[in-house]
Amino acid sequence: MHDLEVRDIRKTFTLSRKQRKIEKTDSKRKVAVRGLSFFVNRGEIYGLLGPNGAGKTTALRSVATLINPDRGDISIDGKSVLSHSLAARRKIAFLTTELKLDDFFTPNYLFDYFSTLHDVDETMREARKKTLFSKFGIDRFAEVKVGDLSSGMKQKTSLAISLVHDPDFVIFDEPTNGLDVLTARTVTDYLWELRNEGKAIILSTHILSVVEKLCDRVGIILDGTIKREGTLSEVRGDADLEDVFFSLLEESVHDA
Amino acid sequence: MHKWWVIFKKEIFRVVTDRRLVLTVFVLPGLAIFLVYFMIGTVIGGQITSEETHEPTLYTEHMPAAIEERLEERVDYTLYEGDLERSELESMIEEETIDAGLIFEEDFLSHVESGAVPSVEVLYNPAATHSSNAFNHVNGALSAYHESIIIDRLDAPEDYHVYDLSTRELFDERAVTAQGFAMIMPMLIIIFLFVGVMNIGPDAIAGEKERGTMATLLVTPTRRRNIALGKVFSLVLLSFMSALSSFIGLLLSLPRLMQFDDSLPELSIYRFVDFLAIFVVIVSTVFFIVALVSVLSAFAKSVKEATTWIMPFYFIALIIGILNSFGASATQSFLPHLAPIYGPINILAGILTFEYSVLNLAAVLLSTLLYTGVFIAALNMMFNSEKVMFSK
Ligand SMILES: Nc1ncnc2c1ncn2[C@@H]1O[C@H](COP(=O)(O)OP(=O)(O)OP(=O)(O)O)[C@@H](O)[C@H]1O
Ligand SMILES: [Mg+2]
Repeated sequence: MHDLEVRDIRKTFTLSRKQRKIEKTDSKRKVAVRGLSFFVNRGEIYGLLGPNGAGKTTALRSVATLINPDRGDISIDGKSVLSHSLAARRKIAFLTTELKLDDFFTPNYLFDYFSTLHDVDETMREARKKTLFSKFGIDRFAEVKVGDLSSGMKQKTSLAISLVHDPDFVIFDEPTNGLDVLTARTVTDYLWELRNEGKAIILSTHILSVVEKLCDRVGIILDGTIKREGTLSEVRGDADLEDVFFSLLEESVHDA
Repeated sequence: MHKWWVIFKKEIFRVVTDRRLVLTVFVLPGLAIFLVYFMIGTVIGGQITSEETHEPTLYTEHMPAAIEERLEERVDYTLYEGDLERSELESMIEEETIDAGLIFEEDFLSHVESGAVPSVEVLYNPAATHSSNAFNHVNGALSAYHESIIIDRLDAPEDYHVYDLSTRELFDERAVTAQGFAMIMPMLIIIFLFVGVMNIGPDAIAGEKERGTMATLLVTPTRRRNIALGKVFSLVLLSFMSALSSFIGLLLSLPRLMQFDDSLPELSIYRFVDFLAIFVVIVSTVFFIVALVSVLSAFAKSVKEATTWIMPFYFIALIIGILNSFGASATQSFLPHLAPIYGPINILAGILTFEYSVLNLAAVLLSTLLYTGVFIAALNMMFNSEKVMFSK
């Protein structure tokens, strides 16, 4: 048994008329994820690598209990997250770089707010706040409104407030998307640090270098299924990761 | 600490500590209402005063003293000095520089006494208020003179006495005031409530979806029901305070608007229970509007979309409110009281004109709370629904 397991999940969406136009399809339903399985253990970073629309966000949102798969199961420490979502949420964090915090609040206020919602008690909270704020250099800006922070500082604040409860499982959708190099570096360094502290991390990305630098294991996801999976060296063999990725991409285009 | 309370506090904090929001939600509505109604009141007041104090200017030729006396009894007027050509006089009356012209035949009195029928011509401008008023005075003076001549000519003057006439002007100030309140209050209350909710509702719900913070909120171990309740209760309180601000502005401008000699209007015509009834109707209506706006905001993907969807409902409420102001008297039949928005507006008009039944009041309260309950249940389902929360 692995710490976090995703077993054969499937998720179908009903497409709105607007979406059918965008995706250039007549079919009303879209299978975003079909028979997807993977696992991750503590002390490990697992990467889902795939192009736009492959189903990465859908897979990660399912793990984060935000959406329910039509079929299959997801378990954390042997307990299904589908039937025990409240308990699962105490152990996970879900992050995305698309998060835009409300301009009006200060990092300090938001940290306290999310701590209370995560049932973190005050002593724990203050200790966590001190650690995270000094790690990301937020301490000097703790009382500055989010709207007045630089975009890098905003991202670091989102990261801090998503991790108030010191979760064992960190689910990160596109961790470096749209970040400047410095902030991206802070984020990837921190993920590595979390891994070494014994946290389990699942991230999604379409950037090959992120996978090459960070991931212990990787699954290449195309059209809702994992086409190849394993440690970095298993997946790429003698070839270059980029070549493997593109040859898989070509295959799936042929199949379609 | 209850999770709904945590969310409630955050939403309140957000609004009351943001200077811009405090201004737009709590200060501007009251201030705007006060200024607009104060100005309308001043303009109306100005017109009334000018009618009451205007001294008409008359042009006369050969006016006999007997008629002049009778005219002076009726009104203080100014005589136009100088002679005018006929055409000059006509155009000056049209232009309202002269309010009326009286042209008597020369030696009018001696003609009357000798039994001949002399002529008198009155010129005025019925399109001008001052001129019409002047004409009434002139007409009154001429009739009085005419009457005195007839009485002189009768063999038995007592024959002229046909009946005794007495007129009484009945004017119930209380009813007039009540009607005034019933015309403006229900409409304004609904508008204030809607505007108050629209100012903050979309941002609190659709805004969180748009910014992506909804996902951060939803991965916390918080029951969806508590999220829904925290949002709804905070919006109710804020909207109520916003409506209150408008209300204070309105109260302060009322003396001017309703021409109550610059003292506060006679609110004492209403009993304590009337105020209580108004209060509970307003509170239940705030809940209803907040629940409606919340449901629409939860469906929308962005604040802008939410506002677009709320607009039609706002306009419907506005139209119902305006129709009520024109009709002004409330219907007493039972069924209409069950209609959302219409019911509350109608019962408010009823309370303000002392014509409402407890049954109808209960119908309004229960139906409004029922609709609210349905909306809140729907909102809870929407917070639970990934389709709504993460729609594309
Ligand atoms: N809520 C939704 N409603 C309808 N269709 C959806 C929804 N979410 C995702 N989809 C569709 O499912 C497919 C997979 O989407 P998903 O967002 O999981 O892909 P992704 O790998 O994260 O892509 P990207 O790189 O663009 O983020 C896409 O075709 C998308 O349009
Ligand atoms: Mg995605």
